Parts: sequence; C-alpha cells; structure tokens
Amino acid sequence: MKMTHENAASEQHKKNHKGSAELVKSAIIYVALAVVVWLGTTIITPQGGVHVAGIVYKTFSGVLAIIAAVFVLIGLIQVWLTPEQVSKVLGKEAGWKGLLLSATLPMILGGSLFVIFPLLKTLREKGARTSSVVAFLFAWSAKAPLLPLEIKFLGLPFAALRLVSIPVLAILGGLLAEWIIDKPLRDAGLEIPER
Amino acid sequence: MSISTIYILVAAGLLVFSFIKNREKTTKALMVAGRVALMVLPVLLFVFVLMGILEVFVPREVFTSLLGSGHGVLGIVLGELLGVFALIEPAAVFPFAGFLHQSGASYGAVVGFVMSAILIGIVTLPLEIQQFGARFTITRNVVALLLIFGLGLVFMVAL
Repeated sequence: MKMTHENAASEQHKKNHKGSAELVKSAIIYVALAVVVWLGTTIITPQGGVHVAGIVYKTFSGVLAIIAAVFVLIGLIQVWLTPEQVSKVLGKEAGWKGLLLSATLPMILGGSLFVIFPLLKTLREKGARTSSVVAFLFAWSAKAPLLPLEIKFLGLPFAALRLVSIPVLAILGGLLAEWIIDKPLRDAGLEIPER
Repeated sequence: MSISTIYILVAAGLLVFSFIKNREKTTKALMVAGRVALMVLPVLLFVFVLMGILEVFVPREVFTSLLGSGHGVLGIVLGELLGVFALIEPAAVFPFAGFLHQSGASYGAVVGFVMSAILIGIVTLPLEIQQFGARFTITRNVVALLLIFGLGLVFMVAL
C-alpha cells in the first residue's frame, strides 16, 4: 500500500514536471512576449520605450547576483532536503508536535503548488490530520529560499515580519480549516484522522 | 562588502561544502539551479518589462488611490485579488510587489498580493479539487483569503 502511494505521487510529480524541451519553449515564449510588448510601447512612445529599457536594465543588473545565489540555494535545498523527506518527518509526529512541525519545517522548501499538492495528498492518505496538511501549505508559502529577493525588493522589516507571522498563520489556518472541513465527520460521530 | 557579495559568498561556500560531502548530489543541484534559471529568468524579464510599461502608461495616482493606505482595508482586498489572478513565478512575485510598493501601495496591500499570489492560484485550483475534493479546496482557499486579510491589517499597523 505504502509503495503504491509513493509511486502514484512520483508519477504525478513527473507528469507535472516540465521536460527540458517544454522549458525552452516557455522561455522563448516569455522572451518573445517581452520583446513584442516592449517594441509596441516603443512605437507608441519612443521615450517610453527608452524608459522601460532603462528600468529593465537597472532592475536586472541590481538583482542578478542575488538571483544567481538564490538559484544555487534552491538547487542545493532541492537535492539535500526534498519535500518527501520533510513529509516523512511529519508523518511520524502526531498531535500538537505534528502541527507545530507542519507549521515551521516546510518554510525552507522550494517547489511549486504542482509538486506540493500531490505530496500533501499522499501525506493525507497516510493519515495526517487536516490541520497538518493545511498548515504545511501555509508554512510552505514562506518561500525562505527566496528571502534574499524579498529583502532586496521589500526591505528587511517586511521580510522579517512575514517570516515570523507565517507559523502563527499556519497554525490558525490549519485549525480553522480542519474545524470546518471535518465537521460532517464529527457530526456523524466518526473518527477524524482515519482516511 | 555589499549584500550581493555576501549572498554570493554564502552560496559558493555552501556549494563547496556540498561538493565535498557528495559530488553527485552537488552536480544535480547545479542542474536544478540551471533549470530554475531557465524557468525564472525569462519570466523576470517579462515582469520587468511589464513594470516599466505600467510606470509609463499608468499614473502613480491610480496605484496610490487603489492600493495605498488612503484606501484603507479595501486596498488589502484589492491586493489579494491581484495576487489571485497573477500568474507569475514566486520568484517574480517579490520584484513586482516591490514595484507596487514604490508606486504607492501600502504594506498591507503588498503582503495581500504576495501571499495570495503564492498560496492561491486559479491555475492550480483544478488540481487542488482533483486531489483533495471541493469541500477541502473551497474551505482552504477561503480560510487563506481571510487570514491573509488579517495579516494585511497587521502589516498596515506594524510597518
């Protein structure tokens, strides 16, 4: 049983993981789109076009080093600490400790919702409580690997306040969502964590 | 030493440490980094162009009146809405959020935008319903929108 769930999750993962050819294609589309929109602007207002080019150059040159560091960080986190490993740790813990870990550990993870959803489904099927699943999502939204970018564009006070608020938000959100989602089960007098 | 230099040094240090620990994993990490770069850089270029164009064509007052602190708590709601419909990479969320703040958006509206752009996606909604069911999905998203609104209030008061 356990294996099939894991296989299903990794299948889903592969399905949502873009292949290299697709990646190049979407890269070309975005660059082309940017160039077309910029050219359009330049035709309408040449001065505006120069202004836009200036902003793009200034912003890019200001963040390139930070972004390179962030990319390396994301790569390292992805190979040394996979979402699967984190969910394995969480699967072992129940009760308040489980909720507390779900509200903090995923903060360091990267990845997109496309990767996180199938993983959380597996976690839920293995018996994780609704509160832990929802808390995991909230905590993951911290996106700690992107912290250097956040500090650069929004300032340290903003980034720090968001970072410390997220575990609180995750616990509140987890409990509130569980209270609503599991209500029919409670009313029917059923055991809640069993799925 | 600038912040950028410190980040680069930290990343390089971690990379060397990782390489000593495990060569294969480190090579894989660099490949992941390359993939992420290929995925994110073009989106960033597009978002930066978009920021420039908004600056050229949309008067500052529009942002200030819609998302500014003068617009009060409604600015947070609009920030959240903008985030829900923003289809951008998380890495591009922060530069755009910075642009919104510079254009006059309050920190409450900005955090509303950032959180809902990361946590709530209309693109991923079908996947969430497929995996968890409609009851879970609706509750999860509504709870998220409400709590993000609360967070917006905290940011408005604190920052």
